[in-house]
This record gives sequence, C-alpha cells and structure tokens, in this order.
Amino acid sequence: MGPVRAAIVTASDRAALPRRLPWTLIVFLILATVPWLGSRYNVFLAEQIIIDALFAVSLNLLLGTTGLVSFGHVAYFGVGAYVCGILMKTYGVPFTLAFPAAGLGTAAFALISGYFCVRLIKLYFAMLTLAFSQIVWAICYKWNDVTGGDQGLPEIPYPHLDWMSAVPGLTDLSIGDRFYLLSLVLIAVSLAVLHRIVRSPFGRVLTAIRDNPERAGFIGVNVRAYQLAAFVVAGAFAGLAGALYGIFSRGVFADYVFWSKSAEVMIMTILGGMGYFWGPPVGAAALVWLNQEITDYTEYWSFVLGAILLLLLFAFPGGIVGGIDTLWTRLRNTRRA
Amino acid sequence: MAPSFLFSQFMGGLTTAMFLFLIASGLSLVFGVMRVINFAHGSFYMIGAYLAWQMVEWLHPSGEAFWPAALFAALGVGALGAVVERLFFRSLYGREELYQLLFTYGLVLILGDAAKFIWGTGQLSVSTPPVLAGSVQIFGTTQPLYTLFIVAIGPAIAFGGWLALNRTGVGRMVRAAQMDREMLGALGANVGTLYTGMFVVSAFLAGLSGALVTPVQGIVPGMDVLIIVQAFIVVVIGGMGSLWGTFWGSVIYGEVLSFGILIFPGFSLFSVFALMAVILIIRPWGLFGRPL
Amino acid sequence: MRFRHLPSFILAAAASVPFGASAADSIKIGFPIPLSGPTATYGVPILKGAEMAVAEINAKGGVLGRKLELMSRDSKANADEAVRLARELIIKNSVDFLAGTLTSAEAPAVSTVAKENKIVFVAPTAKLTELTQPPNLHPYIFRIASNTDVEGTAGASLMAKWTDVKTVATIAPDYAYGRDSIGSFVDKIKKLRPDIQIVDQEWPKLGEADFTPFITAQMGKKPDAVYCSLFAGDFVTFTKEATPLGYYKAIKNRMLDPAEVGTVDEAQALGDNYPYGIIADAYDPVVWGGPGEPAEHQAFEKNLKASMKSEYGSGWAIVGYEAIEALADGIKKAGNTKSDDVAQALLGLTFDTPVGKRTFSATTHETLSPEYWGTMVKDAAYPFAVIQNPVSLPPSTIN
Repeated sequence: MGPVRAAIVTASDRAALPRRLPWTLIVFLILATVPWLGSRYNVFLAEQIIIDALFAVSLNLLLGTTGLVSFGHVAYFGVGAYVCGILMKTYGVPFTLAFPAAGLGTAAFALISGYFCVRLIKLYFAMLTLAFSQIVWAICYKWNDVTGGDQGLPEIPYPHLDWMSAVPGLTDLSIGDRFYLLSLVLIAVSLAVLHRIVRSPFGRVLTAIRDNPERAGFIGVNVRAYQLAAFVVAGAFAGLAGALYGIFSRGVFADYVFWSKSAEVMIMTILGGMGYFWGPPVGAAALVWLNQEITDYTEYWSFVLGAILLLLLFAFPGGIVGGIDTLWTRLRNTRRA
Repeated sequence: MAPSFLFSQFMGGLTTAMFLFLIASGLSLVFGVMRVINFAHGSFYMIGAYLAWQMVEWLHPSGEAFWPAALFAALGVGALGAVVERLFFRSLYGREELYQLLFTYGLVLILGDAAKFIWGTGQLSVSTPPVLAGSVQIFGTTQPLYTLFIVAIGPAIAFGGWLALNRTGVGRMVRAAQMDREMLGALGANVGTLYTGMFVVSAFLAGLSGALVTPVQGIVPGMDVLIIVQAFIVVVIGGMGSLWGTFWGSVIYGEVLSFGILIFPGFSLFSVFALMAVILIIRPWGLFGRPL
Repeated sequence: MRFRHLPSFILAAAASVPFGASAADSIKIGFPIPLSGPTATYGVPILKGAEMAVAEINAKGGVLGRKLELMSRDSKANADEAVRLARELIIKNSVDFLAGTLTSAEAPAVSTVAKENKIVFVAPTAKLTELTQPPNLHPYIFRIASNTDVEGTAGASLMAKWTDVKTVATIAPDYAYGRDSIGSFVDKIKKLRPDIQIVDQEWPKLGEADFTPFITAQMGKKPDAVYCSLFAGDFVTFTKEATPLGYYKAIKNRMLDPAEVGTVDEAQALGDNYPYGIIADAYDPVVWGGPGEPAEHQAFEKNLKASMKSEYGSGWAIVGYEAIEALADGIKKAGNTKSDDVAQALLGLTFDTPVGKRTFSATTHETLSPEYWGTMVKDAAYPFAVIQNPVSLPPSTIN
C-alpha cells in the first residue's frame, strides 16, 4: 500500500473545514494582480511557477493518479515547445492555431510512444520512457534544419496580443505582462480540465489501476487502454506547458529535453505531495522560488536540491501538502480531545 | 578499407566496451540482487577518478603512484558505498521502488556538488603509469599498452565474477537472492549483510573503473551524468542482473559506436538510444536476462 | 482543496519581496560564462581578466563616478543555461550591461536576449561570423574576438606554406563554431592550394569524453596534415588519447589548431603531454619569445600574475579584460549608462589594449582582433609549451 494511498483516502473523505474558502479562486485572483502589484521580476517568477505547475500536474496524472513512473516526461514538454515554436517562428502560424497544434502534436507522439511503453512493467516502463526522451533530445540536438540543432530556436515571437489594448485596464501592460495573463488563463483552464478528469469515473479507474492492476483487470477493465489514455492526456498537457514555456523563455533549446529536467519535475511533484491534486503546483512554486533565492548566493544548487529530496524521502514522504495535511489533522484531533 | 584500419576501429570499440563493462557490471549486480537501479553508480565512478587523482598528487606526481592510487580509490568508494547503504539505503528497502530510485538520484546531486566543492570545476588529468606507457604494433596498427591492459582486464573480471557466482558459497547465496530473496531470508540467510556486501562490491567496481579511466580521459564535473546513461544502455541491452549479458552488451555498444561514426557521423548519439528502445520493445529483459 | 492552498499563497507573497539588493548605484555587468566542465579551462581565466579590469577601473574611481560590479554566473557552455541566466540577470538583478559567454552556441542565444531587452552585450570570445551579420546584427551586440573568417584565412595561409602536404584531414567539435571554423578553412585552402585534397572530416561532439573512434578513423585515411578546431578540455582529452595511438607521429605533428590551444592556460593543462611542433594561436602569447614586447603588455602581465596569484598568467584573460575596458570606454564616451547611448558610442570606438589598439567597426560591431600564431616548442625557462616567435596575423596582412 504505502503512505501515499492512505493520504488520498483521508483527503477525499475529509469532513468540512470550519471555514470553506474558495482557495483556488483566491490564488488565481492574486496571481492575476501580479503585473500591477509586482515588479517585472515577480511576473517572471510567477510565470515560471504556473508553467511548471501545469507540467508537474500533468506528470502527476501518471505518477500519483495512475502509478506510472515516467522518467521521460520532459520529452512531451519539449515536443510541445518545438512544435509551437517552429510553427510560430518558421512558418508564421498564429498562436491561436500553434498552441492547440502543440497539444495535438504532443498527444499524437504520446500515443505512439505510450503504446510501446504501457506494455512494459514498472522498471522497463521507466527505462523505455527515458530512452524515448533521449531519442527526442538527440533528434532536437542534431536536426539543424528544423529544430536549430545545438543552436536552438531563439527569438520565438510573442502571440498577437494587441487586442488586449481594447480591454479596459489592460491597455498599459507590456507584451510580457499580457502574455503572462494569457498564460494564466490558459493554465487555469487546463488545470480545471485536469481536475475534472482526475475526479471523474475515468480518474477513479486510474486510481484503481494504480492500487492493484491485476484486480482491475479481473473486474473487466482494459488496463493498458486506460494507461495509454492517461499517458496521452498527460503528454498533451505537458506539451501545452512546453509551448507556453518556449514563448516565455524567448527561445527553444535542445537541452530543455535533457533527462535531468524530467528528474526536476518529478522532484517538484513529490515535493508538493503527489497524493494531492494541488500538491505539484505547490511543489513547483516552492522549488522555483527556492532556486531563484539560493542561486544568488551559491553555485551549489544541486547539493541543496539533493538534500531537499533526501529530506522529503526520509522525513516527509507526503510532501509539503502532505505535511501540512498531517499537521492540520493532528491539530483538529487534539482540539476535539 | 584496409584490414588494419578495421582492426584499429575494432580495438577502439573493444576498449570503450571494456571500460563500460567495468562500470556497468556493478550496476547490473546491484540490480540483479536488490532490484533497484542505482543512479549514483556514475557518481561512484567519478569519485573513484577524483580519489585516484588525489592519491597520485599526495604520493608523488609520478607514475609509480598510479597502482596504489587506483586501489585506494576503489576501496574509498567501496567504503562510501558501505556508509550510504547502511545509513540511508537500508531504511528505504520496504518502501516503494520510486523512493529508492529518487534516493539514488538525490545522491547524484549531492555527490556531484561535493566533488565540485572539493576538487574544483576544472578538468584534471592523470598520467599513464610508466610500465604501461608504451605501445606495440599489431596488424600494422599502433596499440597502446594501456588499452591492451584494459581489454584484458574486462574478460578477467567477467570470468572472475562468474567463478565467484557459480563456485563459491557466497555466490550461491547471491544467485539465490536474485531468484527469490524472501525465500532466502526465510531460510535463515542474512539477507541484510548480503545486500550491504553487494552494494560495497558494486561501489568498489565503480570506483576502480573511475580510477582506471583517468590516464585516458579527463576528470571533469559532469562525467557522472555522461557515464550513467551509457551504463544504463549497456545493462538494458545485455540484460539486467546478468554478468555475461552486461559483458556482451558492452561489446555491442562499443562496436556500434566505433563503426557507427564511419557510416554516419551524427549517428552515434541517436543510435544507442534507439538500440535501447528497440531492445526494450522487443525483448525487455535484454539479450541474456531473465524475465522479471 | 481548501486549506491546502495556503502554502502557495504564502510563497507567492514571499516572491514579491525583493532580495539581494547590491551595492547602491554601481554599474552592474552581467557575465554568464562556463565555469565548470571541459570549457572552464578558458572560461575561468576570461572571468579573471574581466575581474582584474573591474578592480583596476574601480581603483581609479570607477566610471562616471560609479563603481563597476561584475555579476558572474556559470553557464556550463549551454545555450539554454546562458539564455536563462542572461534573462535572470536582466530581470532579477537589473544589470545595466551584459558581457561574457564563451562558445558560439551561447553568444548568439544571449545576443537575442540582449536585442529584445535593448541591453548592450559585449562578447569576448565567440568567433561565429554570423553573430554580427544580418539578420543577427542589431545595435546592441559587440564582439571583441576574431571571427571564423579571419581565423580560417590565417590558418589556411599557414598551412599553404607546407608545400609537401597534399592530403589534409579536419577534426572539430560538432556545433556552430566547429562547423564554421572548418568551413572557412576548407574554403580558403582550396583557393590557395587547389592541389590539396580533404581526405577526412571528423565531428566529435563538444565535451566528448572518448575520441578514440574518431582518432582511429582519421588515422586510417592517412592524411599528411590536420586542421583541428578542438579546444580547451576537449583538446587535452583528445591529445591524451591520440598520442599513444600514434596519431601525432603519423602526421609528424603537422597540425594547425586555430582555437587558442597556444595559450599558456591550455599548455599548462597539457603539461609535458603537449604535442610539441604543432602550430597554434592565442590572443595573448604571454611569453613574448622575441624582442619588441609592448611596455603595456609587460605591465599587464605583471598585474595579471599578481591578480590571478599565478606564476604564469593566462593567454585568455586579455579578452575578458578588453571587454570590460571597451565597455567602460563606451560608457564614458556616452556620458551615461543607457544602452542606446552606449551602443551609439561604441560604434567606431577605438580603445587601448595591452597588445595594441582595437576599433569596433561601425558597420559590423567587431574588432577583427588578430591573433598571435607560431609553432609550439619546449622552452627551458617554462614547464610548459610556448609559442616560438609569435607573429600577429591581422586580417589586412594575410591574403
């Protein structure tokens, strides 16, 4: 079993808290005000956080919900970034077409690669996802004509956001701020969709598969088909996150697809708490913020990251959200008693 | 193409293969017994290289120091492995495999920066030991003695490993653990000590291969990450947990790289991952492995 | 779903607190450069040269009464890392200018960041000709280094002098600089010596650990001479692997390497394993070899050795030094630190360096720096290889 599943059972069976606040809406509104209340740096940080949040939640659909450990998730992030970037930069396709194309293109790639991956058991699944991810990296690194090769694709254009001038209050915003608001809306919608998926009957079958694939098979579930579907959905949303990231970073480079980035997003997911839907976004926020603060003072960020990881594994397997949850439950129980 | 040219490409591939076999053998061993992929194996290799360099610096900057330095490096990394296993790894055995994997990755991050902190970020170098510094002419090609030494050591270790596994009591326990470790524990064998022992041996091999590679390659941050992916590929091709599988997997890998660049220069980067993917799709347990 | 969001709320609030406020009113120069990995052999001394320039200028009162502040970061020779660091330096640390990057993968990428943010970027080492050509040329990019055109012309003119060489092989790292460098050389040598045949071309990746298959493949083609653009740690590893295989013996050390392996930095890294007899170059030979060493150079070397706490100085520090000096001169001429004005001021600006005057071309924003070429020999006075009678080959003097 493991602590992860126990945590999920507790969370969904939770009785009402004394104060029901729509926290997600509150956070969304706070994030939406950053271009006005915060500096350019705050927008930069916030954008990085929300993009990584979507990326991490997409991974968690595989990791936390379906129990599939993928080491190659960054491949889908990268494919999305390249598809959107190439369409917009090389072919001048507008964002409104390029963005969904990135999602669809990544979904197609996820379908093909996923078909081979889900046929394998745990360890081999992880190795094959890693192999596919490195193949994508090698292609991006070498295919100079299409992907820019080792030089990458700098200067991805911003989408046309002049229409925002017509909206009252948005007229004075810079293009970077406008893109941030657009990303925020797109990511919020994506997260809402993913949330629906996880809570739906489909999502429940996935958790059943995670808990015991054989039993799920016995009751008539086509385990492979469901796993493949999860793979495709997770890949598609990772691709959307990648598309936004390519525009945000003003360029797409082959090293975005290197396997160490897969490890980073996995750490984010677990840091936040993979047993909770909102765990990965918390982990993303924590890690991005920590990284920015610490790299100003020391070059040894890897050491810090490794130490955090070890601390998580040995002391806080439920992640930040898991830790807070446990704390909150204990407080409630002591108050009752 | 002249036969002597083909021979030198072949020997080059074989050298790469034997270096990789030394490293990958430890990885395969740990996986076979403990069913866990140790990402930090590449870090052990790197630390072995740095320790060898350090020892050569301390003893005296001359070639005779190389052999004790290599041994010291291997023992040092073995000790590090023992500490890691006893203090940390042990507590993760009952947990999900993902946690064990992530622990080894955390080690990669920590050991990588620790090495940078201790030995700096530049590229370090060790000279070839004088006794092996020369070369011989074989089939019209120049073969460095050191290369021949490595090419000889590979099969020696493979054969020695095979002997240990198949002709000793400890070896029998290891093979039993590979097949069914719960049963082994139930039969009264001290599985805990066996695990520690295997981990130490694996770390020792990694440290030794790191030390032995220093006359031929630069010691530089990032060598841990570069090597671990190659070791994975080899172990997947040959079959995880199989000593001979790792041996032949290394040979295949080395020769594909060596002859691949003749056929298509940019090929090698892509081809080895493609090969890994193909094996995983068709025969996931590798050429010589057993289905899990 | 309710209380759980509190942590992210707290973190978002924390993100708004500005951190790391640096010395008030200093002129900040962002300096991403590889400080780890095989290319650090060049990256680290370049940074030290820049630091020395900053220290010297600040000791004299700074620029326009304000001190210079160098903010360096390790780019690991990756384009994406360099871009990320450049953007962070601009957005988070509010740097006024950018300088640095080593490779021709990093520099063009950072150049686009500079263009978009309208910040002057002085690149000390990247040789890729495209960096300062349309469509990549923009008002804010300036280059201290030579370029692959000049480099290839110099290299080809020297190889052309080996009249008994009929077959040539090339080996270079497989990325923009390597491809450009070889392309330029092949182009020029074909014009000077149409009788020369290129019999083999090898392309190991940048940061390759095992060059053996490339070495043996190249030896199989039996070239008379080799043009090699491997550099820094890669050249060290390559030589370590090639020498026992008889590579250098087979070509009788007839190798030309235009990627500054003639610097004392590289020579020290190779020590006694250096393939004496090859021809190499450097921006600063350090060891002058013959008479006629400019007094400024002598003074520079003395200060450099003291500043780096090294007995032998560095052949690379000079470009980092020059980048800061040129930028400082540009700021002085503009009278302010606005990048638009400084960029204008740098056009056609002539500045002093320890090895002569340099001018930023008003049209291409380059200095077309010459380099010092010569045969690498053993010198009793030094424990490493030095350039014998280094000769400066400016673009105007070579055909």
